[in-house]
Amino acid sequence: MKQYTKMMSAMAMLFWFASSALSPASAAALLGPGDRMIPDNEQGKIIRQGQRLLSDTRRLLPQYVGAEMNCTSCHLSQGKLAFSSPFVGLSQKYPSYNPRAGRDVTLTERINGCMLRSMNGKKLAPDSAEMRAMLAYINWLSADYPAGKKVEGAGIGTINKNLKPDSVHGKLVYQRACAVCHGDEGQGLQRKGEMVFPPLWGEHSFNIGAGMARTYTAAAWVKQNMPLAAGLNAPLGQGKVLTDQEALDVAEYFTHQPRPDFPGKENDWPKGGKPADARY
Amino acid sequence: MRRFSLLAALLLAVFPALAATDTAAIKRGEYLARAGDCIACHARPGTTSMSGGRGFETPVGMIYATNITPDKQTGIGLYSYAEFAKAVRAGIRRDGAPLYPAMPYPSYARISEADMQDLYAYFMQGIPAVRQENRKVDIPWPFSMRWPLHLWIRAFAPKPQAYVADPGQDARWNRGAYLVQGLAHCGACHTPRGIAYQEKALTEKDGRDFLAGASVDGWFANSLRNDGIAGVTPLRKDGSSSGRSWTQDDFIVFLKTGRNNHSAAFGAMVDVVEHSMQYLRTDDVEAIAYYLSTFNGGRAASPATVTAPVASATAAKTQTSTADLAAGLYRSAGAVSYMEHCAACHRKDGEGVERIFPALTSSQSVLNRSADALIRIVLQGGRMPVTQHDQIALAMPALATLSDQEIADVLSFVRSSWGNQAPQVRVSDVSRVRKTLVPAAKP
Repeated sequence: MKQYTKMMSAMAMLFWFASSALSPASAAALLGPGDRMIPDNEQGKIIRQGQRLLSDTRRLLPQYVGAEMNCTSCHLSQGKLAFSSPFVGLSQKYPSYNPRAGRDVTLTERINGCMLRSMNGKKLAPDSAEMRAMLAYINWLSADYPAGKKVEGAGIGTINKNLKPDSVHGKLVYQRACAVCHGDEGQGLQRKGEMVFPPLWGEHSFNIGAGMARTYTAAAWVKQNMPLAAGLNAPLGQGKVLTDQEALDVAEYFTHQPRPDFPGKENDWPKGGKPADARY
Repeated sequence: MRRFSLLAALLLAVFPALAATDTAAIKRGEYLARAGDCIACHARPGTTSMSGGRGFETPVGMIYATNITPDKQTGIGLYSYAEFAKAVRAGIRRDGAPLYPAMPYPSYARISEADMQDLYAYFMQGIPAVRQENRKVDIPWPFSMRWPLHLWIRAFAPKPQAYVADPGQDARWNRGAYLVQGLAHCGACHTPRGIAYQEKALTEKDGRDFLAGASVDGWFANSLRNDGIAGVTPLRKDGSSSGRSWTQDDFIVFLKTGRNNHSAAFGAMVDVVEHSMQYLRTDDVEAIAYYLSTFNGGRAASPATVTAPVASATAAKTQTSTADLAAGLYRSAGAVSYMEHCAACHRKDGEGVERIFPALTSSQSVLNRSADALIRIVLQGGRMPVTQHDQIALAMPALATLSDQEIADVLSFVRSSWGNQAPQVRVSDVSRVRKTLVPAAKP
């Protein structure tokens, strides 16, 4: 019976893949409400401000952001894209147990975790207008997801953890599929003083405390989301062109390039359970 | 015995030379066939054999490109040189029947004698013969009768005569004119056609309709006239552009690679770059750019694009639009949608990213009076050409899940921001274009 269910779900997956490949436009492109639904009132202004802070983070919060990154560098399409760790549904998911912290964390704490690690920056005050605006946006996105309702496309999907990464091959994948935007030296691309494509390593990239610095986490995200403009699928023509092995190899390559240290790393995983691809 | 050795000596004397000439001619013919982009129509998409079969929708029904491999039964293997030249230049088949003007013989009429000989050598000896019967046209009577085409040819096709160099112009200009008017048959798409499907102008001397931009196959082939938006600027010593135009270098890079710092080929032009233009020698592409650059300010009688406002007003408006978006002042529903669905790639300033994401500012494709091609690329998406230079075909996703209203809003925003001043896009325009596309493009 279990076998049968497994087979059925595999077939359903196959069918889903085939149909999405054949008619990429027919799948709903984004999770959550469209921006036109943002209410035209004071609360709407706060929601919009939160969205802007999350999408234009480096420019709007320079004193808090050390890396040339925006939150939406990873949480694509303003946090509405399935399998790019969407914001949609997070309001009901938190507080949630976080193994890295060894305790339950609030959404505010989780955002500040990103500020310290992925953004290589500083915490926002929990009661600051900026933090409240970010939460207002995420709450607005999550309104249709009461506790227990599943978000299709939550998280970043999975990658086969039995595969072994090959960094030498990863460099070739990088040069073929990534360098056109992220640069030969992983430096990203700036235009008129604004970041367009984030640096993947070096002093302006995320630090080793970020989830994206872990090989298998990065590989799963890359497989789903990179490169952009690779196909006709909405909303960004993103992903699904690299094999698991290619995604893993390229992830191994770029995650292990030089990048900033994470002060406080010794406090992570206080109760054990540190994943094998953690960087420290 | 003596006779035999004489023959052998004669053969030895003649044959190597003959073989060498043939090889060179075939090689030249291959280059010319690429310049003529024969493969785009005579091979089915995704194949390289010019054995025909690709269908073309015409106002009267479907026609199919024919087998032009040297197969003696189903191809053109029995064509003499004279018959080959007559078909290419005059649109008359070996059996005397006229060809549909989907075959650009009004342009090919200009091909020189020497080039025609090389093309013949290539088509007879340079490609493998493939046996494949030609498909009959799907055109109902009375339109299926071919004899009226004789009248059409008499009325509209130029008398086949090789290009005559203009003595008032230099060699580069003449080379460019020869290619543009002839083999490259740019006018087949870029020159508007009259009611009898004839191109309204075949050379720059025929007036301002020449290469003035035209609707073709649901896309819009941009104006190639030097009209100050995306034409080629007049030659300047420092190689710079005047205002909003592309420089000649921009144009050359576009033809060779399908993209440049401003824009990228989409729609039917993708095939032209992939199959033809990328293979042209740089001096030939330069000649094309140079020739086009000399249509100084000669705007078409009914310009395809909207005149750009004066530079200072444009600059002010550009700054306002960009500053508004950067400050979170989204002043219309279109602006909201632009930031949600477009800005990640095309950016707040609408300028995209050089060679990666096309600019929406100073873009002829954005400013054309007809927004059909813009609507179509939003609904269907598109891919840049793959060339020897760029192996990755960057794509614009199909955003068909957006409603007609939202697409109309966002395109109207794009057409009126950063100094752009093109007419609003109506919801009915989007609905009409959506209906012409495959079912997958429904919301």
